[in-house]
Order: sequence, then C-alpha cells, then structure tokens
Amino acid sequence: MNKGIIVFAYNSRKVDYSLLAIISGGLAKKHLGLPISLITDQSTVDWMNENNTIEKANEIFSSIILTERPQSENYRNLSDGNEIDNIPFINANRYSVWDLTPYDRTLLIDSDYLIFSNRLRAYLDSTDDFMIGKSMTDLGGERVGTLDRYVSETGPNLYWATNVIFNKNKDTKLFFNLVDYIKENYNYYSELFRFYPRPYRNDISFSIAKHTLDGFTTNTENSLPSIPTITDKDILVDVSVDGKLTFLINQGNNDFVAISVKNQDVHIMNKQSIIRNKENLLRLI
Amino acid sequence: MDERLTKALDFAKYKQSLNLQRKNLREKIDGKLTYGHNGGIFKIDRSLINFVELLINKERTINVPLLDSNENPILIENLVAFRDEILDRYMSSVYEYAEQYEKIKKSRSVEKLLEL
Repeated sequence: MNKGIIVFAYNSRKVDYSLLAIISGGLAKKHLGLPISLITDQSTVDWMNENNTIEKANEIFSSIILTERPQSENYRNLSDGNEIDNIPFINANRYSVWDLTPYDRTLLIDSDYLIFSNRLRAYLDSTDDFMIGKSMTDLGGERVGTLDRYVSETGPNLYWATNVIFNKNKDTKLFFNLVDYIKENYNYYSELFRFYPRPYRNDISFSIAKHTLDGFTTNTENSLPSIPTITDKDILVDVSVDGKLTFLINQGNNDFVAISVKNQDVHIMNKQSIIRNKENLLRLI
Repeated sequence: MDERLTKALDFAKYKQSLNLQRKNLREKIDGKLTYGHNGGIFKIDRSLINFVELLINKERTINVPLLDSNENPILIENLVAFRDEILDRYMSSVYEYAEQYEKIKKSRSVEKLLEL
C-alpha cells in the first residue's frame, strides 16, 4: 500500500497559499518521511513561476496535480493579530481528494498545519479506513467555545478536517461523495443543523458526513488526535534556527502573552504571520 | 498606574506564560506517548506497561492480542520486544518531560521561559 500526503493550495489575491503549501508540505515530508503531492490550479502555478518558488515546489512535491480553479464566492474574516481582513476562501473542492490522490492511503493536511513531529505516522500506519481530527486544542489557553466543539449550539460534534487520513476504497468514496452532496445542499443542512451557512466550511461538511455515516451518532473512536491550534488573533513572531516557534497569544484589549513551541505539530490559523516568517521556516525544511 | 499593581500585572503575565508552557509541554509529551504497532494505536501509560509485564510474567509472550486505544484487538507477535519498545519510549518521554519541567520551574521571567 503506498502512502502519501496531500495539500491543497489555490492562491487568492490576499494570501499566498502556494507558499504556505511549500512550507507545510516540506515540513510534513521531512518529519513523516512520506511523499507529498500538491493539488492546485494553473494560475497558482503561474504565480509560483513568477515568484521563483516553483523550483522549491518541484523539490518538495513528488507531483503537482492541476484542477480547475473551484468557483467560489466564499469569503471569510481572517485576523492577523488585531487586524481583520475579509478574504476569498477557495476550499470548495476538498471532497475531490479521493479521486485526485495518487496514494492508497492519504494524509490530507491544511496548508496552515505545520508538522514538526512524527506523531501522525502512527496513525498513517494504523489500519482504520477513515480518521479525522476529533477536536482542537488551544495552545494559547482554554479559548475553545461551543462552536469549536459542535457544528452549532444544537448540532453534532465538530470534527476538524485540518487532518484527515483515509484509504482509497468504496466505503471512503461514499464518505467523500456525501461531503460533496452536503456542500451542494449546504443551505438545507444549515437549516437542519442550525448553523450559519456563510462561509462554507469543510469542517462542517466533513462533520455532518461523518455523523451521518456513523448512524447519526457521535463516534470519536478511531479519530486523529486533537489539533493543536494557534488562532488567527495570535501572532507567530519568531522562528529560531533550532525550530522553536514563538507566539504572542492575544488576550484581548491589545494585551498579549508570549509562549514558545518546539518539536510539536501546530495549526497556525494566522496565515500572514506564517508568510512573514517564511525565510526561517523554509530553512527548517 | 500604582507600582504595586504594575508589578502584580507583570507577575500575572509571567504566570500566564508559565502555565501555557506547562500545558503545551504536557500536550507534546502526550504525542510522544502515542505508539503505532501492527496497525493499532497504543497510548503508552503505566497501566499498559504493567499489563504487558503481567502477561510476560505469566509466560504469554507470543501472538498475544491486546486492545489498543480504540479498543481494537491487535495481535502482538513478540510481547517482550513490544514491552521493551514501549518502556523505552515511556522512559525517554518522561525523562524529557522531567528535564523540560525543571527548566520551566526555574525560569523566573517570560524571556527565560521562551528560551526553552
């Protein structure tokens, strides 16, 4: 069975997702010792050519798989510390990973998930057909609210599609087809489970699909570990040569607390702060 | 601002960083104690080590099924080698935990905490 990692990246006007994918892909490949492929579109590849990052991309990715750019009117508010910007969010074809992956067993990661340990390797070597992050852990404290745990105040458990592992077989095909169906009928599901339908979130579609296929029950067994997360209101301020990441944790009212993390996987939702530290992060690959 | 309050707030900030560093260290060690074997996923803890040792003492060492963290039965072909591996991983993780924990305890400023 061949195993590998997949990351998606479609650049928007405001976020260089291709650069995020190069950083997260390079770290994942280094720490998990598996090949990685990028799913993207021609305009993002053109951007990489113009910005001379294509060479690095070719070095890291064993294949660059081109798709049509997903049509999206999806926008979301993304913070960079105290600054907030409304950015295009091109995430509508994540379900297609089943068809696009060249691997029998795939780890799908978000491009803002940076891997600094081999923790997920044990899960890649396990035999479960499908696993998804069961929850998120706030590395900046206890700022996990109801909507970080559940699809809505009355809805099912929220799983985190930041990390997904699946075998390519007919059972998992059923799952990803259902994710596609939920995406197409997102307004209906938002009424049914009473969540706000904008912006479209893969976490929610994946959660409803899992909830449905688990027989409308919550089943966090056979899940991936909780996702260690730094929110977009926090700021990555430094990356040292030995791989230590220093963050300012936003306490509100322009008040920050400093922490550092080393040899630990981390989901950094503040994408611009990853990009500001690109040189040092690329040195760690 | 009153100097007493300024000092108290500075100390509060240090304590916040200290507590977060401790919490994240536990999270990191928890990750190191996850062990994949023969398709199963085991959380290495004292209970698993003791149970495996008990089985070995009872001379059940070859092709022993164990329940992993997800309650799935996983066949362990060589339980002695399995025991040695989990004990090694447990001890190296706990040594690292102890070392880092001690450093955190001795760090009396945010700057020192961030050096770890």
